[in-house]
Amino acid sequence: MSKTASAPHRFNKSGLSLEKAIKFFFASNAGLTIVILVLIIVFLLKEGLGFFPGYRRELEIYRIAGLEFVDLSRQNLTTHEQLASVLNRAYYAEINGKCARELKRSREAAALFNAFSDQTTATRDLILNNLTAGIDPDSEMLATLRKNHAANVQKALAKLPPTPHLTLTERTALIDSLRSRDVTAKDDPPLVATLTEQYAAAQQVQAKPLAGLRATIDAFEATGSDLSTLVSEMTTAVTATKESLQNADILEKDRKTLLAAAARAKDPAERARLMADAQASLAEQADIDGPMQSLMLRKPTCIEAHNALRQTSSEILTQLPTALSQPEAERLLRAARKAAPVFLTTLGQAPGQISQWRHDTRVPLSAAIRSFLTGKDWVTGGEWQDFYGILPLLVGSLMISMVALCLAIPAGVGAAIYINQFASGHEQSLVKPVIEFIQAIPSVVLGFIGILVFGSVLRDLSQLDSLAWVPGFPIEERLNIFTAGCLLALMSIPTIFSLAEDALNNVPSAYSEASDALGASRIQTSFRVVIPAAFSGILAAVLLGLGRVIGETMVVLLVAGNRIKIPDFSSGIGAFLQPSHTLTGIIAQELGEVPLGSVHYRALFVVGILLFTIVLGINATAHKFVSRTQH
Amino acid sequence: MSVSPQPPAIQVRDMHFHYGPTCALKALTLDVAERQVTAFIGPSGCGKSTLLRCFNRMNDEIPGARVTQGSIHIGGIDIQDRSVDVVKLRREVGMVFQKSNPFPRSIFDNVAFGLQLHRMASRSILVQAVEEALVSAALWDEVKDRLHESALGLSGGQQQRLCIARSLAVKPRIILMDEPCSALDPIATAKVEDLIRTLRQQYTIIIVTHSMQQAARVSDHTAFFYLGELIEFSGTLKLFSNPAHKLTEDYLRGTFG
Repeated sequence: MSKTASAPHRFNKSGLSLEKAIKFFFASNAGLTIVILVLIIVFLLKEGLGFFPGYRRELEIYRIAGLEFVDLSRQNLTTHEQLASVLNRAYYAEINGKCARELKRSREAAALFNAFSDQTTATRDLILNNLTAGIDPDSEMLATLRKNHAANVQKALAKLPPTPHLTLTERTALIDSLRSRDVTAKDDPPLVATLTEQYAAAQQVQAKPLAGLRATIDAFEATGSDLSTLVSEMTTAVTATKESLQNADILEKDRKTLLAAAARAKDPAERARLMADAQASLAEQADIDGPMQSLMLRKPTCIEAHNALRQTSSEILTQLPTALSQPEAERLLRAARKAAPVFLTTLGQAPGQISQWRHDTRVPLSAAIRSFLTGKDWVTGGEWQDFYGILPLLVGSLMISMVALCLAIPAGVGAAIYINQFASGHEQSLVKPVIEFIQAIPSVVLGFIGILVFGSVLRDLSQLDSLAWVPGFPIEERLNIFTAGCLLALMSIPTIFSLAEDALNNVPSAYSEASDALGASRIQTSFRVVIPAAFSGILAAVLLGLGRVIGETMVVLLVAGNRIKIPDFSSGIGAFLQPSHTLTGIIAQELGEVPLGSVHYRALFVVGILLFTIVLGINATAHKFVSRTQH
Repeated sequence: MSVSPQPPAIQVRDMHFHYGPTCALKALTLDVAERQVTAFIGPSGCGKSTLLRCFNRMNDEIPGARVTQGSIHIGGIDIQDRSVDVVKLRREVGMVFQKSNPFPRSIFDNVAFGLQLHRMASRSILVQAVEEALVSAALWDEVKDRLHESALGLSGGQQQRLCIARSLAVKPRIILMDEPCSALDPIATAKVEDLIRTLRQQYTIIIVTHSMQQAARVSDHTAFFYLGELIEFSGTLKLFSNPAHKLTEDYLRGTFG
């Protein structure tokens, strides 16, 4: 037996063959990718999971230093300021709405003058600088400069913005005054000045009947001053406590590092030195109790300030007018009237919260997790307190994806159905490469096209009076959720198109043949047989498109507007025209600037883990649908 | 069996058919008898399937394929004419394919598909029409308890009979069968052949087959094609026992094929 096993025979295996080597090469490549993937996941988890204990400690400091206590009052102060600002906006909207004609005329004249100045300023400054430098006014050089300037003026006059609200005579007069304008002139052209005066006069006239409202708003603004003073006093105190607590934390960390080094040191002298350093670094216990006691002594004052604010505010707010004449002003007033009772209720609850607040309640780890998952604020690098709440980013990402999918699904799936079912061979060979070509556009290029072309066009469109009925118009921000969504739709159309087309292609031709033979028309065959058979494949295509959209970074970073705030849904669908930030964008924007290992740094890793989980989930679901079609 | 008293169901007169520049059928003239089974036999590529697909104009979908000369009349109407509605034609001329191709839906939906397509039946009589079609296809007893299960769960022979039921449901006059048993085992084949013999009383059936035994078993008339030409067309008994043409004899004997 052993002889047959060891002795070479005709069918003996010959050692390490070339085939084995090739097999090993490819197997190792596949293995390497898996190893790298596992390493990435391990790294993400290792860096990310440290976040929650760190964040818990930050929240604990927030509480024991008394910042949380101050925030109880500060939040109400902020609400008060916001309410006052809404009222002010309503006031000015009412006045400007009533002087709309004067405002537009004045703005148009100013815009025309500014356009002219911008274009001629280079040559004009050249002349002025030379004159102040004392050059002979009659010199040949100055003559040349004047000639250049004159040419520039002609060019500028040739392309001035339109002024629909000025009469032709006025426009001609203004242009004439610009043409004959002296280089040294500093005053505004007479028409611009007159129109500005007219506008100011009209404002004054319109302000008179609104004097009552003005007085109410002023009184309301003044009521906050007591609480405001109190809050700023407390702020100074608690900030100092927080700093000493943080310093103590840092020293403690240093000490632990030194002790660990000492434990590892082999040389006794070296160990002794490290131990001494560690001893020296022993932090003084930060004084919490003293400042806290004095803070707690302010409780009655605080409650009193709240009660006073509530009392006066409720009196003042009843004096608000019931209606305003201008639509924008009316909208703002209505918002204020809606916010007022909420504000008063919150003020009513404040004394209870303030008296019940205790600095020594424990902050559990679950509080950090909850604050991360349900927090409405993502505030970092602030002087006061950092918050890592995922909601504004998640909502931004989801809203942008929603817009993108709403546009990309009809376009991508529709194009796939047309190309696969109805298009002639000629159309197919034209359209397919073009759609797939979109994928070749680098996303950063698409991003700046979005900023410069799409964003600007959209904003200009929204300013048209004839489109004022569209919710959310006119748009204040050029960069917003809708713009980003549109560009992402463009990016995901090729993905959805190609995969949906593949899914339609994979439907066996026997199905459509059977349907044709039963006398179905082309459209009946497509919609009753082919598309239903490809349905799960199309769904998978859409999901993979969604995965692409959620994970896309560059375009949203450039175009979404990057304002970390949950959009204001009170304006309905107009919320989609507000700027927003995203899960991907925040990582790209902040990861370069955070100190390594800080809580903020780890927070970004957790955002990364979340993003990874979402995209993984989407892809896994898509995979399930794909495998269903293949059966 | 030799001469039928009724006018022929299909009349083909001097027809030529081209795939692009290639001539697939040359100067064909033949009559298909009403309510009889006609078999088309011949070696692969002889044009018998092409001819079959001319009868319900399935060749329309193939780019470059067209009848270049001659005519095909079904029920007295030239089906190549511009005014012919292919949808209505295909309702009268049903087709069963070589590989069974039920839709990935329930058994009921498969049979009801054609009826719903043409809005031929209201909801109430739909159920009845489906049952009738399944009974005609001798499938009812096997599937009556699972009408709403997927058709893909049936066996190969059942699937093919389901396809026959599907084409019967729209009440055609002619049924074209393109090698309906080539993917079936002998038992399933026997069942389909029984079915064909039953259907013969109500429908005109044309069957393309590679199996000469099958042609002999089920058909009344047999046409033998070779390289796009009709070599011989007569009663099945006569063609098999006493072929008039040397090529036919060679083919039947298995000298080539």
